[in-house]
Amino acid sequence: MQNPVNPVHFENPPVVQGFQGFVLHRRDYTNTSLLLEVFGSGQGRFPAIAKGARRPRNPASALLQPFQPLWLAVVGRGEVRTLTRIEGAGRPISLQGRALLAGFYLNELLIRLLGRQDPHDRLFDSYQAALAQLAKADDLDTLLRQFELRLLAELGYGLTLDREADSGEPVRADRSYYFEIERGVQTAAPGTREPILSGSTLLALARGISLEPTQRHEARRLCRQALAPHLGERPLQSRELYRRWYGDLHRIEHEPA
Amino acid sequence: MTERSLLNQLIDALRCLPGVGPKSAQRIAFHLLERNREGGARLAQIMADAMLRIQRCRRCRTLSEHELCGICANPRRDAGLLCVVEQPSEIVAIEQATDFRGLYFVLGGRLSPLDGIGPDELGLDVLESRLHDEPVSELILAISPTVEGSATAHYIADSAARHGVRVTRIAHGVPLGGELEYVDGGTLALAFSGRRAL
Repeated sequence: MQNPVNPVHFENPPVVQGFQGFVLHRRDYTNTSLLLEVFGSGQGRFPAIAKGARRPRNPASALLQPFQPLWLAVVGRGEVRTLTRIEGAGRPISLQGRALLAGFYLNELLIRLLGRQDPHDRLFDSYQAALAQLAKADDLDTLLRQFELRLLAELGYGLTLDREADSGEPVRADRSYYFEIERGVQTAAPGTREPILSGSTLLALARGISLEPTQRHEARRLCRQALAPHLGERPLQSRELYRRWYGDLHRIEHEPA
Repeated sequence: MTERSLLNQLIDALRCLPGVGPKSAQRIAFHLLERNREGGARLAQIMADAMLRIQRCRRCRTLSEHELCGICANPRRDAGLLCVVEQPSEIVAIEQATDFRGLYFVLGGRLSPLDGIGPDELGLDVLESRLHDEPVSELILAISPTVEGSATAHYIADSAARHGVRVTRIAHGVPLGGELEYVDGGTLALAFSGRRAL
C-alpha cells in the first residue's frame, strides 16, 4: 500500500551524474571521511564529503588529491554534497617545486574568489589547461598572469589593458602608464606617484604573449593590485609559502605568484 | 531546569574519544561505573597525569614526559641517521616494523598553504638547526605520498641540500600481499618507476 504521509519525504535527493572535476582542497572529516572543496565542470566550486575515503586500502584517498583529474558523481540537496562516484580521469598532473606552489596558488585563488555553485565553465577549462601547462612550462609568470586576468574577467572585473581608460587611445609599447583600480590604465605624466607600467608590458598581458623577464615584475604588481580588493585583508597563504621557500631559501627576486 | 547529572557529564566527556558516539559513550560510562570502577579511577588518574605532564621532546618533537624522549636520550642510537615523520604514532610503527637505529624528527603535519600550515608550524627551523649542529649524514623522509606530503619532502630536501646532507625518501609501491590488478594507478606507476634490479 502506498504511504500517503508527506510524499516529499520520499523524493530522492537530486543526483548529478558524471562530470569532470578537481579537488581544490581536502581535509579530514570524522574518523574515516574527507571534506573536499571541489571544482567541477558545469558545477562550479562546491564542498563535498567522500564517505569512508580514509579507510585503509580505499583507493579514493589516493585519487582525491589536488591536481588529479577526476570523474565524479554527487548526490544531495544541501550545500555540502556527497560523492557517490570517484574515478580517475587520467593521470595526476605532476607538479614539482615552483610549479607545485603555483598550483596551490591557483587553488587558493579559486577558493577565495569563486562564489559557490556558479558553473564557471570557461574558467574550468582555463584551470585545467593552466595545470597542464604548469607541469611543463618554465615561464610560470606568463601563465599565472593570464590565469589571474581570466579569473578577474570571469568574476566580472575584467581589465582593459590595451587602451587608455579615459581617452580610449590604444596603449603604445614605448609609453609609460599606471593603473588605477576603478578607473583603469592611465598615461603617466612626469612626476606620477603611482608605480609605472610600460606600454609593452600592458600589451603583452592584453595579447597573452610571453612576458620578458623585465616585464614580469610590473605584470605581477599590476595583477596583485587588481586582485587585492577582491581578496580582502587576509594574505594568501600560498604566496607566503612561496616567499619562505624561494625567497628566504635561495634569495631569489623572482616570485611568480 | 534540572542540573546536568554527573553521569551525563561523564557520557558527554567520553565522546571526545575518536570513534565514540553517544551510544558507545553511554556503554563505556555504564561499564566503568557498574563493573570496573577501579579501572575507571586508574584511567582518570593516568589521564589527568598524562594530559598535564606529556609535552614535546625538545629535540625530535615527539610526545614525552621528559625533556628528551627515550630515543633521543639513548646514546646507542645512531645520530648520523635522522628519519622525518609526520606524527608520533609513526615512530611507534617504524620502531615495531623495522630495525632502524637512528633518530627521529616529528613534523606534526604537512605543508598545507591553504590551511595556513607553513614551515614554522612544522618546526622546520628546529630541524634545520639540527642539520646544522648534529653530525647527520642521511636524512630519511618518511612522509605520506600525498601532494602536500611531497611539497613538504621537497621543501626539506632543499634545505638539507644546503647543509650538504644526503636526503632519501622511503619507497612507495605495491603493498605486500597486494595484487597488482587492485592497486591504484598512481601507486603502480610509482612502483614501476622505482623498480629495482634483482
